[in-house]
Amino acid sequence: MSDLSTGPNRARAPVVRMSGIVKRFGGATALDGVDLEACAGEVLAIVGDNGAGKSTLIKILTGVLQPTEGQLFCDEKPIVLNGREDAIRLGIDAVYQTLALSGDLTPTANIFLGNELTKSILGVPFLDNTRMKTEATKVLFDRFGTRLPDMDAPTNSLSGGQRQAVAIARAIYHADLRVLVMDEPTAALGPQETARTLTLIDTLRAQGMAIILISHSLDDVFSIADRIQVMRRGKRIGVVNVTDTTNEEVLGMIVGAKTEEAAA
Amino acid sequence: MSHTTTHSPMPRKASLQEVITRNLAILGPATMILLLMAFMLIAEPARFFRTSNFEIILLEAALFMPMAVGMTFVIAQRGIDLSIGSVAALSALIMAFLIKQYGFSPYIGILVAIAIGATLGAINGLVVTKLNVPDLIGTMAMDLVYRGIALVLAKGLVLAKFPEIITTIGRGRIDGFLPVPVLIGIASIVIGHIVLTRTYFGRYALGIGSDPEAAEMAGIAVHRQRVFAYALMGALAGLAGVMLAGKLNSIQATSASFLNLHVIAAVVVGGTSLFGGRASMLGALCGVILLAMITNATIILRIEFFWQSVAAGAVIVISVATYSWLQAQDKDGTGGFAAALFTRQNLSIFKFIGGLIAALIALLILGSTLGNGIPAP
Repeated sequence: MSDLSTGPNRARAPVVRMSGIVKRFGGATALDGVDLEACAGEVLAIVGDNGAGKSTLIKILTGVLQPTEGQLFCDEKPIVLNGREDAIRLGIDAVYQTLALSGDLTPTANIFLGNELTKSILGVPFLDNTRMKTEATKVLFDRFGTRLPDMDAPTNSLSGGQRQAVAIARAIYHADLRVLVMDEPTAALGPQETARTLTLIDTLRAQGMAIILISHSLDDVFSIADRIQVMRRGKRIGVVNVTDTTNEEVLGMIVGAKTEEAAA
Repeated sequence: MSHTTTHSPMPRKASLQEVITRNLAILGPATMILLLMAFMLIAEPARFFRTSNFEIILLEAALFMPMAVGMTFVIAQRGIDLSIGSVAALSALIMAFLIKQYGFSPYIGILVAIAIGATLGAINGLVVTKLNVPDLIGTMAMDLVYRGIALVLAKGLVLAKFPEIITTIGRGRIDGFLPVPVLIGIASIVIGHIVLTRTYFGRYALGIGSDPEAAEMAGIAVHRQRVFAYALMGALAGLAGVMLAGKLNSIQATSASFLNLHVIAAVVVGGTSLFGGRASMLGALCGVILLAMITNATIILRIEFFWQSVAAGAVIVISVATYSWLQAQDKDGTGGFAAALFTRQNLSIFKFIGGLIAALIALLILGSTLGNGIPAP
């Protein structure tokens, strides 16, 4: 179906590669032989209509779902992901649109939730709140140049972009993260916060992270992505370089204006 | 390193309003305590402001402190426990039977009471988490179960005259210092504060209460933590049962029946959010002292005992409403209290309530004038 040779030249080897992924739910086929390659220091956007299989694909990549057929590779070595923990261990994690932050807790508590730093007093583990706060402040500043106005304020008092930074900081703090999947990061944000989030993605890319961005906003995709993978009805329609294409062409591929005939 | 996204260049100091909002858990009940004291200064200064009276207040409060600690954890993780009165009564009753009829050592008896409390609490937790019964209904139903078992066991008996260790726990005092129950209560608050702010258990309770799904995604065993919180609540209710038995030197199946809302009121006044995620142990301490002071004031002013229940209910509604209003204001950042009060929808609600009251008054007038002609039987 999708011809790899028409895709852009890839000089670097991909960090993760998915090959011939098929996913069936009972009789329904959600993914029908999909490939994906994500490279370090690159933003790969995945676009497609609702039901095109984007979410299923990234759930398989992050170990939440297991493929019916097909193989995943990390550094070109075959891998099997039986759960999200497996993916995180290999440095693959996702930040979802809801961000999954606890609004009443501080940014620090959120970054460390479930992975708290402790110090032992008489053999009893007590939370080391001071060290966690220092570390959280450090990771936010070092990775994003973000300094929150008040580290003790509840997270729901932060702006959308700041919350995004906290959610990503949590993902990168606990793993040597190499592949970050971002599912609709800008969907609920205003223009200013969207710009900040895109800057955030840019910063991560400059640090060598492979970013997979799922988005409905072609404007955002064209302003940040390097390559665009278009999906329709569980298949990869094509992969295009942002510099080689136009908004209209990608939109045409999403709705299936001409590629289908060409491929057939 | 790229510093391009610096949102705010300098960490700023929290404004006065933020300081007040953040410490409302203590400032709220503390203000109410001061107002109550000011009122008593005018109404009945001689009998209220006495060392012995403050000791009575502390003794009353001490009984509620361990339960307030447990309830803070339960409410922090977005739960509620309406069975603690029965848990306290049943635990203490079984302890009393073991000591009085089966010759158990009182020390073992006390530990058994706490263990039974923990077990009953864990059952509550399982009902709420595993059987998916909403906490309000589940614990209220278990309250009936535990109270029923206590009534069946006691068959109307009052068990009295306990060994010295139990009365010491309930009403003893260390000479020249504080009463033993007050020390137990304060110790439970201090330990509760440390557990809330510095252990996994406390952090996870807040995380679960704030957003159960986010907590689940962070890898927290939500059900297990919830069951632990209910079990802790039960254990502390068992301890309160022992303290109550010692304080009165007697226990019966109908003991401790007014505890539930009293404890919840104290915790909620102390800034713990009924919607979970926010909790304050020191606030709970202030809340417990405030409610003990209200109880004491009603006694000194010779107001009928049952007004306490009116006071506890009113305190819950007022404090939850205040916190909700403050939180809404936090989010919207707009409008004063009056603006929030006189919306179009509210005006029609006021008209509706005004109509109800007018109809009620009309009916009462009608009844009293028409009833005049008919002689009472």
